[in-house]
Amino acid sequence: MVGLPYDFLVNPLGAVRSTFEKAISSGSNPASFDGKDWGALEPFQHFLFDQNGLSKVPILNASSVKWVQPNTLVRFRGMIQDMLGNEFYVGAYKDGSTWKTTKFMDSSQCPAGFSPDMRIWERRLLYCVPVPGQNSWTESSRLGEMNHSAEGTSENRQKRCRMDENAADHMDLLAPSDELQNYSGGKKLKDEQLSPGLQSQNISTVATSSLSTVCNASRGFLPCLVKIYDTEESELKLNDVFEFIGVITLGTEHKVDKDDYDEFSNGLSEDLSFQFPPDMVPRLHCVIHRKLAVHDFLHTYHVLEPTTHQIKEIRTALLNHLTVALGNDGVAAHFLLLHLLSKVHARVDSMAVGKLSLNLTGFNRESMSIFGNQLRLTVKSLLPFTEYIPLTVEYLNTASLAPKKDYEINRLVPGVLQLAEGSHLMIDETQLEVGTLSSLGVENARLLKNLMELQKVEYDFKYYKMDMTTDVQLLILSEGKSNILPADLVVPFQPSSVGSSAITDMDALEAWRWYLSNVRSLPHSIETEMQQVVENDLVAAKQADRNLGSQDLSRLLTIGRLISASYGETCLSLEHWQMVKELERLRRERLR
Amino acid sequence: MASDSSPVNFNTGPSSPDDSFSSPIGNTVSSSGDGFRRRSRRRSSTPSEMATPPRQRARMVSSETTPTAKEPRSRRRGGGRRASGSEAPPVAATPSSTDDIPPSTEPGDGDDMDEDHPTFVWGTNISVDDVKGAIIRFLRHFRDRQASQSEGDFHTEGKYAEVIKRVLEIEGDSLDVDAQDLFNYDTDLYTKMVRYPLEVLAIFDIVLMEMVPQINPLFEKHIQTRIFNLKTSTSMRNLNPSDIERMVSLKGMIIRCSSIIPEIREAIFRCLVCGYYTDPLAIERGRITEPTICLKEECQARNSMTLVHNRCRFADKQIVRLQETPDEIPEGGTPHTVSLLMHDRLVDTGKPGDRVEVTGIYRAMSVRVGPTQRTVKSLFKTYIDCLHIKKTDKSRMVAEDLTEAENRLGGNVDDLSFDEAKVEELKELSKKPDIYDRLTRSLAPNIWELDDVKKGLLCQLFGGNALKLASGASFRGDINILLVGDPGTSKSQLLQYIHKLSPRGIYTSGRGSSAVGLTAYVTKDPETGETVLESGALVLSDRGICCIDEFDKMSENARSMLHEVMEQQTVSIAKAGIVASLNARTSVLACANPSGSRYNPRLSVIDNIHLPPTLLSRFDLIYLILDKADEQTDRRLAKHIVSLHFDNPEGIEQDFLDLHTLTSYVSYARKNIHPKLSDEAAEELTRGYVELRRRGNFPGSSKKVITATPRQIESLIRLSEALARIRFSEWVEKGDVLESFRLLEVAMQQSATDHSTGTIDMDLITTGVSASERMRRESLLSATRNIIMEKMQLGGPSMRLAELLDELKKKNPDNEVHLNNLRNAVSTLASEGFVAIHGDNVKRI
Repeated sequence: MVGLPYDFLVNPLGAVRSTFEKAISSGSNPASFDGKDWGALEPFQHFLFDQNGLSKVPILNASSVKWVQPNTLVRFRGMIQDMLGNEFYVGAYKDGSTWKTTKFMDSSQCPAGFSPDMRIWERRLLYCVPVPGQNSWTESSRLGEMNHSAEGTSENRQKRCRMDENAADHMDLLAPSDELQNYSGGKKLKDEQLSPGLQSQNISTVATSSLSTVCNASRGFLPCLVKIYDTEESELKLNDVFEFIGVITLGTEHKVDKDDYDEFSNGLSEDLSFQFPPDMVPRLHCVIHRKLAVHDFLHTYHVLEPTTHQIKEIRTALLNHLTVALGNDGVAAHFLLLHLLSKVHARVDSMAVGKLSLNLTGFNRESMSIFGNQLRLTVKSLLPFTEYIPLTVEYLNTASLAPKKDYEINRLVPGVLQLAEGSHLMIDETQLEVGTLSSLGVENARLLKNLMELQKVEYDFKYYKMDMTTDVQLLILSEGKSNILPADLVVPFQPSSVGSSAITDMDALEAWRWYLSNVRSLPHSIETEMQQVVENDLVAAKQADRNLGSQDLSRLLTIGRLISASYGETCLSLEHWQMVKELERLRRERLR
Repeated sequence: MASDSSPVNFNTGPSSPDDSFSSPIGNTVSSSGDGFRRRSRRRSSTPSEMATPPRQRARMVSSETTPTAKEPRSRRRGGGRRASGSEAPPVAATPSSTDDIPPSTEPGDGDDMDEDHPTFVWGTNISVDDVKGAIIRFLRHFRDRQASQSEGDFHTEGKYAEVIKRVLEIEGDSLDVDAQDLFNYDTDLYTKMVRYPLEVLAIFDIVLMEMVPQINPLFEKHIQTRIFNLKTSTSMRNLNPSDIERMVSLKGMIIRCSSIIPEIREAIFRCLVCGYYTDPLAIERGRITEPTICLKEECQARNSMTLVHNRCRFADKQIVRLQETPDEIPEGGTPHTVSLLMHDRLVDTGKPGDRVEVTGIYRAMSVRVGPTQRTVKSLFKTYIDCLHIKKTDKSRMVAEDLTEAENRLGGNVDDLSFDEAKVEELKELSKKPDIYDRLTRSLAPNIWELDDVKKGLLCQLFGGNALKLASGASFRGDINILLVGDPGTSKSQLLQYIHKLSPRGIYTSGRGSSAVGLTAYVTKDPETGETVLESGALVLSDRGICCIDEFDKMSENARSMLHEVMEQQTVSIAKAGIVASLNARTSVLACANPSGSRYNPRLSVIDNIHLPPTLLSRFDLIYLILDKADEQTDRRLAKHIVSLHFDNPEGIEQDFLDLHTLTSYVSYARKNIHPKLSDEAAEELTRGYVELRRRGNFPGSSKKVITATPRQIESLIRLSEALARIRFSEWVEKGDVLESFRLLEVAMQQSATDHSTGTIDMDLITTGVSASERMRRESLLSATRNIIMEKMQLGGPSMRLAELLDELKKKNPDNEVHLNNLRNAVSTLASEGFVAIHGDNVKRI
C-alpha cells in the first residue's frame, strides 16, 4: 500500500496510519514517539522529492480551496505572519487494545478525560498569509504543470484561470493607474486583506465576518493556519517564507455558536475557530515544510549554471532595459541595478552590512507620472515581492506601518512593514506636502527611518517593543534629497528621453528574474592585494574629505561587492573597484 | 453540608488534650470553611479518594513520627484525627470514643482498621500517610538555619509554626511556604509535591486544618497553602505535555486580566411545588446538576427544582494572560502566552504590564466540540492554576513613589537576585587580571579607539560611593561625564549603549527636553483635582544614568535646573501648593557638539561649547572626541570596514562579554561592593593632588595657573572607588588611584589644556578664561593704550579701528592681533573713560 503515489495525494492520512501501525507492530511504545516522528515522514520525503511527486501536489490558494478535497495532500506557500503558540492534543490513544494516532488530524473520537493509555503531544500553530506584495506572475508559475489527480481536469483549469483573473484584478487594483481613480480605496482594500486580525476584532458581529469572507475570496487572499509537528523552534521564524506540504482539513471544526460564548473557556485560550472560521481559513497539518527563497518563485529553473559570459550578457540586456525605463539615464540605471541586487549579508552589532537603499531625486509630478509608474511596473515585473507606499502626510498619520500585538484577540495585527525577506519597497515621496504629523505620524516616520538605517522594524507589543530584523530593498522617489528617509545612495535622476519599457521578450524577462534572484546570493571575497588597494583608497578618500563617515566608506565596499556580483564574479577585481570609484565620482558630480 | 459535618467536630474538638479552650462553635464554622476550600481549589479529590485515607492517616502519622517526634505525641495525633473527621464527612462515623483512647493503644487500633487498605495517591505509589507525616514534620520542625543555630532546638518553634500563628493573628487566609525550605528539609517531599501537586497540596491543607484549631479554636477561616520560590523556573516556551499536572514556576508579564467572574461554589435549589430547599450542592467537574426530582419524600415532583441565587455561594475567579518577557524570546519568534486562573485572594493582584513570577499547577482541559455535546475534541486548552504570584523586577520599574523606591533599593536586596552560580561566575570573572581591559573592550565593541573615554564611562557605570556625613553634608558618588566632539564621532552611539547597559536610565535629547521634563512637574489629577507630582527624566533615573544627547542645544532654562541635580542630587520644587525635594541621585552623561559644527582647536573648550563654566565644572570628566585627521586611525577604520564585507564577519569577533553578562556584572558590583580607601591609597591621593596643584606654579613666572580644584579630588576619589568596584575589591588600592589620576589627566588634557601654552589650566573650566589668555589680553590692552596715547590728542580727530590695528601690527610684528581682540581691548578702555567709541571710530577723551 505504502509507496503508491495516489495514496499520498488523496489519502495521506492512510499513509500516516500505516506507518504508525507498522511502528507499533514492530514493538515500539507510543510513549517513545513523544515529540518525535515514528517514520511517517520518510515515505513522504521519498514520494515528494525522489519521485518528483511535489509537482503533483496542488497549491492551496484562494481558488483552489474551492475544489480541494479535505484530508488530501496540498501545499501552501506563504509567510509566517503570526505564531499562535502551541496546542496540546491527544496524539495517540488506545482504542480497545490497539493504539491509534490522531497526528495530522483535527479531531477524533478519542475518549474524554485523561487516561494512562493516552499520549498527549504538542504541535505549533502558525498563521500564514500569502507573501505580502507577491506579484501575480509568480503564482501562475505552475500553470503548465496542471495536476490531473483529484478532480475533473476541465474544472480545474477553469478554476485556475479564474484565479489568474483574480490575481490580475488584484494587481490592477494596486496600481495607481489612470483608470483607477480612487487609488486610496484600493489601498484600503488591500490593507484590509493584509490585516485579517483587524477584522476579527469585530468577531462578535457575524455580518463583518461574512463580509470578510467575500472580500478575501474575491481578492485571492487566502490565509492558512498551519499546524507544525515536531520541529525545532529555531527552524521557523516570523516573516519567513515557507512551503508547507500537508493534510488539509476544511470546515471540520464546528463553529462555535454565538449564544454559547463561554467567557471562561474563551478566556483561557482564544478560540481559534472563532477567530479564524474554518471555512475561511483552512487548516493545514504540515507533514513537510521547506524554506523558500526568492528564486523558488520563478517559473523556470535554470538547471545549468550559466557561464560568466552569459551572465554578462544578461546584465547588459537588463541594464539596457533599466536605462530605457529610466529615460536614458545610464548612471541612475547602474545604481538601480546595484540596488536591486542588494541584500543584507551580515549584521555586525546594529549595522546591516550589504544593504543599499536608493534615493532617486529630481522627480516632480509630471516626471513621476511617467517614470515613476514605469519604474514601478519594471520593478514589479522583475522581482516577486514588491510593495509601494505613496507617502503623504495623511498616510503617515493614519497607516499602521508596524505590526502591533492586539492582546484582546491575542494576535499580531500585521502592518505594512511586515515584509518577507527580499521584498522590495518603493516609497513615493513626491506627493508629500506640508502638513502636521500626529504622534502616529512621527512614529511611522521613525519606523521608516529605522528600517532604512538599520533594516529593523520595531514591532509593538504594547508593553515593550521588539526589534525584528528585515531585509527589504528600499527605493525612494523624491523631489529633493529625502530627509525623512535617509537613503544610502542619493542619485539625482536626469532623464533625457521617454522610452517605452514594455517587455516583449518573455525569455529575456525570465532570464532577468533569474539573474536578479540568484546573482545576489553569490559569495564574495577580497584578495589581500586588493584589500590593500581598497584600504589605501579609503584612507585617501577620508583624508581628502573629513566629512566621510564609516557609513560612506562601507557603502563604497557594498557597491564594490554588488558590482562584482553583477558580473557573476565572487572576487573584487581592480577593474570593478575602479568602476565603483567612477560611479561614485559621477554621482558626486550630479549632487553638486 | 455544614450541618452534616458539625457533629464530627463537636466530637473531635474537645478531644484534643492540648486545647486550652474547646469551642464547638469555632469548629463548626471551620468545617464549613473546609468544605468551601475543598471546592474552591477545584482539586480533583473525589469523595472515595479522600474518604478512605483519613481513617488510617491518623495512625500512620503517629507511628511515623514516634521515633523522631520530640513534642507531646498526643497533640499531633489529636490534630490528625480531628482533621480526618472534618475532611471526610461521609466517614464521620469515626466513633468519638477513639479520640479518647490513650496514645499507647493507638497503633494497634489503626492496624486493625487499615492494614489491608494502604492508601496511595491515585495512580502512583506515594502513600498519602507518608506524605502527611512529612508535611507535619516540615511545618512543625523546619527552622531557618541561622535561627536553629542561635537558639536551642526545643525551645523555639519551627519557622512555619510561627508563621501560622502570625497568619492567625492577622486573620490571614493563606500560608506562604517557601519551596526552598521544603527542599532543604525534605527533598523527597519536595519532589512529590512538584510531581503531584494536587494531591500533596490537598494533604497540606488537611494538615493545616488540623493544626489551626489547636492554636486558636476560634479561628474561622480556612488557610490555604501557597507555595512559592520553586527550585527551578520553567520557561514558558518549554512547557510541554510532560508538565501537565505538575507544579511549575514561570516568569512573565501580565498582558490582560479578565473581569472578575463570580463562580458558583455551592448551589441551593428550591422546589417550586412544595417549597423545599435542598442542601447545598457542590460543583462537580465544573458543573452542578440540577436535581430532577424534588428530594422531599412527600413531594417528589418532577422537574420542579429552581436555583435560588441569593442562597448560593460564589467565589471570585479571574483569568489572567501571562506573556513571555522580551528577553526570553528567541530571535525571529513571537512571545508565547499562557493563561492563569486566579482564585479568591489572588484576583486582581497583578495589573497588565506587571512582571510577575507565578507558581502554579499546569493543567489541561479538553475542549468540547460543542457546548451541548459530550464528545470532546482531541485538543486541550492549557492553563495554570495559580497558587502564588510574586511581582518581580522592581529595579526596572518606574519609581512612582520615591520613598517606596528607597525601600526597595535599600532593603530588598533579593529583588534583583543573582543565583549562586551566576555570582560565582561573576566573581571568577572579576579575578581575571585583565578584567579592566576586558570590560573596556566589551563596552560598545563596535566603536573603536576612544579607549580612555570608554574607561571613563565604565567608571561611571560602576560609580563611586555616596557619602553622607552625620552633619548632613553629603557627597555624591555618581560620576558625571560630558562628551564634546565633532559630529559623526559616535558620541550618540556611546550614549545609547550606556543607556542600554545602565540598570535604570533615561535617554533624552537636549533639544526636546524642557526643565520640567527633566526634573519634575506638578499637575492636577483630572479626576480628583488633587495636585500630583510627575517625575521627570532626572528623577526617574534616580540611581541610574541620565543620558542627555545634544546637551548644547538645550534651553538655558532647562540647563540651569541641572546645577542642583548635578551636585546636590536633588530636585526641589516649589509650586502650586507643593514644596518638595526629590532625590535625583543620577549620573549625568551628556554629549554636546561644538558651537560651530566642528571643533575649532584654536579656541578653548568654553568657546567651542557655549556652556556656562559653572555647569561645566560639575562634570568629573570632560572628554573631547575629535575627528583627527590621523592616517593611522583611518587605516584601522578602513581595515575594519573591508573585513566587514568579507563573508564571515563573525571571524573578527573578539572575546568580549556579552551585554547580559556585562549588565549583571555591573549591577552586582553596584549592589554588593562598597570599596573603602586604603591608607596607601589615601596617601597617594594627597600626594598626587598636591603634585597637580604645584604643577600650576611655574618657577619664576608670574602666571598663576590652576591645575586642580577641590572638585577634582572628589572626582578622583569617586573614580578610584569605581575602579576598585570593577575589580570587585573592597579596598581602593594605590593602583586604582594612579589609574584615576591618569583618567582625569587624559580628560583634562583634552578639555582643559590651554591651547596657547600646552599646559593644563583648570581656570578654563571654572572661569572660562585661561591664565595665558588673561595675560595676553592685558598686554594687548597696555599696547593699545600706549598707541592711543602716542597717536591721538585729547579731543582730537577720531581714528578708525582698522588704522589702530595697523599701528599695533607695526609695533609688534610678531604678535598676531585680531580686530576682535582689539575691539575688546578698546571697549575695556572705553569703560575706563579713556576713549569713546562711535561705531568704528575711536576718540580720545
